[in-house]
Amino acid sequence: MVNPKEIRDYAAGLLEQGRVKSVIGYRRGTAGCFAEPCTLTEPGEAGSLVWDPTCLNNLALYLVKDRKQQAASRTPDRRPIGIVAKGCDSRAVAVLLQENYFKREEVVVIGVSCEGTGVVDPRKLKNSLKGRSALKVEFGGGESIRITTRAGESELPAREVLADRCLECREATPKLHDVLFGESLAERGYDAPFRAVKAAEATSGEARWATWQHHFDRCLRCFACRSVCPLCYCPECVVDSTSFVITPQTSAEEKANRIRWCERSANTAESALYHLTRAIHLAGRCVDCGECERVCPVNIPLRLLNTKLEMEAFEQFDYQAGRDYDRPALISSFRDEDPNSFIR
Amino acid sequence: MEKILAKEKLRDWVASLQGCEVHGPAFADAVWNYAKAEGDIDLRHTNTVGSVKAFAFPQREVFFRFEHKRGERPSLVPTLPEPRPTVVFGVRPCDGRGMPRNDTVFSKEFKDPYYWARRDKLILVGLACIEPHSPNCFCQAAGGSPCSEEGLDILMTDLGDRYHVRGVTAKGIEVMERGRDAFKEASGGDQAAVAKAHEAACKEPQRTFGDLVAIPDAIRRNFEAPLWDEMARHCIGCGICTFLCPTCHCFDINDEVSSPGKGERVRTWDNCQFPDFTLHTSGHNPRDNLGMRLRQRVSHKFLYFVENHQTQQCTGCGRCISECPVGIDIAAVLERVSQS
Repeated sequence: MVNPKEIRDYAAGLLEQGRVKSVIGYRRGTAGCFAEPCTLTEPGEAGSLVWDPTCLNNLALYLVKDRKQQAASRTPDRRPIGIVAKGCDSRAVAVLLQENYFKREEVVVIGVSCEGTGVVDPRKLKNSLKGRSALKVEFGGGESIRITTRAGESELPAREVLADRCLECREATPKLHDVLFGESLAERGYDAPFRAVKAAEATSGEARWATWQHHFDRCLRCFACRSVCPLCYCPECVVDSTSFVITPQTSAEEKANRIRWCERSANTAESALYHLTRAIHLAGRCVDCGECERVCPVNIPLRLLNTKLEMEAFEQFDYQAGRDYDRPALISSFRDEDPNSFIR
Repeated sequence: MEKILAKEKLRDWVASLQGCEVHGPAFADAVWNYAKAEGDIDLRHTNTVGSVKAFAFPQREVFFRFEHKRGERPSLVPTLPEPRPTVVFGVRPCDGRGMPRNDTVFSKEFKDPYYWARRDKLILVGLACIEPHSPNCFCQAAGGSPCSEEGLDILMTDLGDRYHVRGVTAKGIEVMERGRDAFKEASGGDQAAVAKAHEAACKEPQRTFGDLVAIPDAIRRNFEAPLWDEMARHCIGCGICTFLCPTCHCFDINDEVSSPGKGERVRTWDNCQFPDFTLHTSGHNPRDNLGMRLRQRVSHKFLYFVENHQTQQCTGCGRCISECPVGIDIAAVLERVSQS
């Protein structure tokens, strides 16, 4: 089992030696038992780092945020950043490297293996505790999660409370890392990859469309799914009210003539446009960290849209986003053996 | 008016409200949210993820339709809503307290006809929180109470096998009278049981953040402090906190064109955490970072609203804390501001 002290010591070392300007990791939050992202800049702060099944966030997002900040800064600080990364998070880092968002030497990946488990789904946890709040959630060793509530301590089979993405995870150990904590476990006895999307695909087209209309109709367009995604890094987005970057040089005519691809109204058609555009933009890029689905306040099963395209990439092109950062990306490469039956 | 309603009689009361639209909490897609009530209403909810504000201030409101045919005068078709009386069950006291604050915003300088067309027809049936519905509740720290009647037309209290039902406003009493056959008179014992339940509810643990009265000064004192940047460092700039908030009311107005010369002018919710919220047409953005945006949201709730309307705008429902994807916590922010 990963000992969080090893992570703390390593992070403190990186900062002490000046190898990184900061370390992005997890610490205890103030709102309930879940961990929250933190950015350390002093070795003395490393004691606050934690590693447990409540470390839900994909921290690769903050590498992107830093890069945007440095790009806007008059005195950019391009020193490397250390990042605590689970298997899925490290795949996001790999895609960012593949896409030349930053260079390999600009990031130090502190890999942590999820070993036999992963992170919990807060809603499943709440259901299994019948609405009561957990005070502490820890790895129980093997395939179990240890939960402490006011009533005491109990062990639950991980399968009951793990996030769906973890149940379907094919790589719970970060392949891309500078240092790795925890055992690398190849075989995990949970769900087959793409189980949920295959189950959804087994229903009729009409039923699927009815389901998605229902979900798109409920969308609040808070854009949390886009904002939390480390690979949704475009500086401009077609769904924003300003669908291009406005600068002092942008003419009045350009502003007046901007095309509004997507209206602000949160109705079924506009929200469908938003979600399908986002899914297509992540085709061959999405690493299934599941953050979009986790943050949705109304529980739209967004993972299904992205894993569908991930499955196509895998089955058609034997491609897994984030598996090999030094090979060309799916969208920007061509091989003679690629299937082309769809070209007529 | 004070009555007792056996739990199995709630159905009869709801059935008596013919001609009204009735909404209540429903658990669907793994969240509690308001839905049109058909038959029974399940009042075992925590709090609904969306707040009650949407009944008067929906996320999308059409102001008017317009059409301009070639060679003809442009025509405008008014679309002022004409809803039926709408009764909402299961409103938590924090959401109830939100509504008078929204009423102030939509009437103080200008009476918003769209808001009031809906609001005037709205009857809010509250349910006291016998236990906190979330570990992030802080209604008492925000000046309210888990059994507050403010903003509600009726307050119900769960007494185990029965509800105690108090009519607070004339509108509320009228709705109770329509279902009069479902109710019994409240006895002295019932009244004592309610008083005891309310007293116990106020002793349940909640989040705190120091002295509410001292917060406006604390915000002024820390206006330029680095703590805002530090606390917003991991904010992702999404709309969860404001869209779920019972009192956030900022909006945008757009013309949505469906075919050449034809369309609708619509109002939609907007959000001070979006980067384009304050973007000027010059390209200048006066709130161009996340720290400034967090400061704006907190200041609006606990400083500007107090200056303008002599009360806090936050009612302590805790949604923005519980639903924040990265753990940004308004109670922790206020505590830090108070102590800095």
